[in-house]
Amino acid sequence: MAMNELTTTKLNADSHLLLDQPLLKVPNELGRKNFKTTQRFVEHEQKTILNTLKATATASLAGSNPLESLDGMITRMNTLKRKLEVLQEEEKTINAQSRKRIQHLQDLYEIPSLADVKYDEWSRVRLNRLLVDYLLRNGYLESARQLAREKEIEELVDVDAFVQCHKIEGNLRQGDLTQCLNWCADNSKSLKKINSNLEIELRLQQYIELVRTAETQKKVEAIIHARKYLTMHSDSEFYYKAAGLLNFPANTEADRYKELYSSDRYTYLASLFLRTHHTLFSLPSTPPLQIALSAGLSALKTPSCHSSHLSSSSNPNSTSTSSLCPICSIELNDLARGVPYAHHTKSFVENDPVVLPNGRIYGRERLWGFNEKLGWVEGKVRDPTNPTEWYGVEEVKKVFIS
Amino acid sequence: MEALLEEHRRYDNVHLGHAVNDCQRTIDLLVSARDTIAAEPQKASIALAKLNNPVKQSFDKIHDDLKAINSIQNKYTKALDKKFKDKTLPDIGNDVLSSQSRLINRAIAMHLLREGQFSVASTFLQEAEPQPDAADGLMQDVRMRGMWERDIANVKLHSEGLQQQFAEMYHILHELKQQRNLDPAIRWARSNSKNLDQRGSNLEFELCRLQFVALYLGYGLHNSPSMGAVRAWEYAKQEFPSFQQRYTKETNQLMGSLVYSANLTASPYRQYFYNDSAWEDVANSFTREFCSLLGLSADSPLYIAATAGAIALPTLVKLRAIMKDKRTEWTTEDELPVDTPLPPGYQFHSIFVCPVSKEQSTETNPPMMMPCGHVICKESLERISKNSRFKCPYCPSESHYQDAKQVYL
Repeated sequence: MAMNELTTTKLNADSHLLLDQPLLKVPNELGRKNFKTTQRFVEHEQKTILNTLKATATASLAGSNPLESLDGMITRMNTLKRKLEVLQEEEKTINAQSRKRIQHLQDLYEIPSLADVKYDEWSRVRLNRLLVDYLLRNGYLESARQLAREKEIEELVDVDAFVQCHKIEGNLRQGDLTQCLNWCADNSKSLKKINSNLEIELRLQQYIELVRTAETQKKVEAIIHARKYLTMHSDSEFYYKAAGLLNFPANTEADRYKELYSSDRYTYLASLFLRTHHTLFSLPSTPPLQIALSAGLSALKTPSCHSSHLSSSSNPNSTSTSSLCPICSIELNDLARGVPYAHHTKSFVENDPVVLPNGRIYGRERLWGFNEKLGWVEGKVRDPTNPTEWYGVEEVKKVFIS
Repeated sequence: MEALLEEHRRYDNVHLGHAVNDCQRTIDLLVSARDTIAAEPQKASIALAKLNNPVKQSFDKIHDDLKAINSIQNKYTKALDKKFKDKTLPDIGNDVLSSQSRLINRAIAMHLLREGQFSVASTFLQEAEPQPDAADGLMQDVRMRGMWERDIANVKLHSEGLQQQFAEMYHILHELKQQRNLDPAIRWARSNSKNLDQRGSNLEFELCRLQFVALYLGYGLHNSPSMGAVRAWEYAKQEFPSFQQRYTKETNQLMGSLVYSANLTASPYRQYFYNDSAWEDVANSFTREFCSLLGLSADSPLYIAATAGAIALPTLVKLRAIMKDKRTEWTTEDELPVDTPLPPGYQFHSIFVCPVSKEQSTETNPPMMMPCGHVICKESLERISKNSRFKCPYCPSESHYQDAKQVYL
């Protein structure tokens, strides 16, 4: 038993952090994005300023007054500086967040075992993190914010990232592509790295909308649009299909084109965006809470939990010594119905098991303890599970469980 | 994790602050050139020509600042990837929960209530209700939508009652733990005494005993602590008769302790009076009883399940990887194919594994006890008895199939 206990309470922090990758990856991605924005600003200003400076010098040789142009440059540089300051603030926030999160994960490494109270505390923080994440993913933004605030874990959850993500998703579902295209531009490098087709699908949608109008002018625009954005697709079939669309009206019955005109495409784009977003931030597509729950429900579930017979152990109306089983508790009982139960290779029963004439098995100590609390009735034993069943002490028999 | 922290510490000295400063330097260059030109317009061309290189250099400086950040970012990202090298995002397949968001929401709502987060719970129940203009996807199946709404309504209805219950629980716990006031707890125990007795709970007595101790030790009696014994005696006279029959020994002991009121610490009853965890223990058993009467476990099931999940997950993920590798599927859908050991506190039910078939007992294959007291599963029993007299696999005794009876763990 002692050995067994040692192995089951062993805490292997490295493998324990399976669910916690996004915790560090999200701020890192945000930091990189912030940096790229900075770089873009600086490069742009550098080009403009140096060109203007050159032009001004040339013009001044020809006798024109350079002051106005210099003032313009100074204004531009001041604007750049302000932008950099904003980005610096963002950088500070992100770095502080990362630091806090590393520290939080580091805490786990310092906990000696799963039986330690510190692990309990840590795991409660984790549950709150997972809950906030779940609420955010489902768009329950205010609940998520409130929970994060009350539990003081705002630095350990990515409310802003999800709020933005949810907004873009909502816009897509309503047929608005602008925000999503901006997002693609902001993340263009990372998107290229993961070979994302999100942007080209959005561009295709713009094209479809132009063709849908059936106006000649718009169709010409559509063709220009297609040449500019759709030709970069590696699959030429994609391009041909788009080109073919020009010959079919919006009410076509041809399956191939009907599906392009369909409003379902927006739902598709929304889920494509979500997938892309989550991949980019290393967020699992299934909410981690759900992953943890489905593993946990199985690990805890026993054949007794949905049995029509009340279990002798951990049932609601017996045993004031033990808590009700969490799977049998109302909160999770229905949810756990579909998951497999845990695998066991060894019986696990209370010490010194005895059986009552009705077939119920209890540990002798618990049965005696229960009846003692009840106030012994001379020579009688009550079944803890059933208040109406009394037996003579001599009817309690030893049972052998191996 | 230390290595990662080390890597991240580099950001302390390398940040956009430098770029901001260098940007200011560029501005200074431009401003001072402007001032020169404004003062001596004839020198404009020379001043501008002289300005070109410094501005270029100062931009180069900004780029250097950025490069430094970039290099640290790359190193940190690399360290991060290394840390989570073998850890693909967990995929345990068999995702039955995805279609159960309704039930997950219910579990979350109840969790928030039992943790006393009433305002979050109420926001959540409002938000979880589908908006009238929600996504088209939701509108497609009107029937489903109706069910979902009804269910949320049920949760809401249910949760108001539940919220009141938990509010009461937290009130009682607060009085008990923070104020050391046992009255609300005792009142609650009295009004539920029948149910508590059925469960064999002695909560009411425990509470009253603690009250006796508290009075004896003179809680709330700052001026005359010596009055404690008298007050305890009065309390005992009033309350203990109803416990006399069931807790004879205990009440006698408590009364006996009154004799030692002058020097309690040296008395044999010391343990009842100077027990630091007594209040915490009583609070815990109160919480357990309170939740049990509501049909709920004492600790949040969501918490226990999520924690058990995190503990079991590495095993399940490994299993998933192996199965993917070997292109096999689970043979039994009802049971996990591997052991997922959990720490001792996570076992709630007894488990019976048939010593003959090595299978876990189930409702259709229940444990059966032979007259000798040995237990095997029904299917094993059928197999070895073959409808005739047979010998128990574990002892010499012989019996018939019909002599065996089902037992309940």
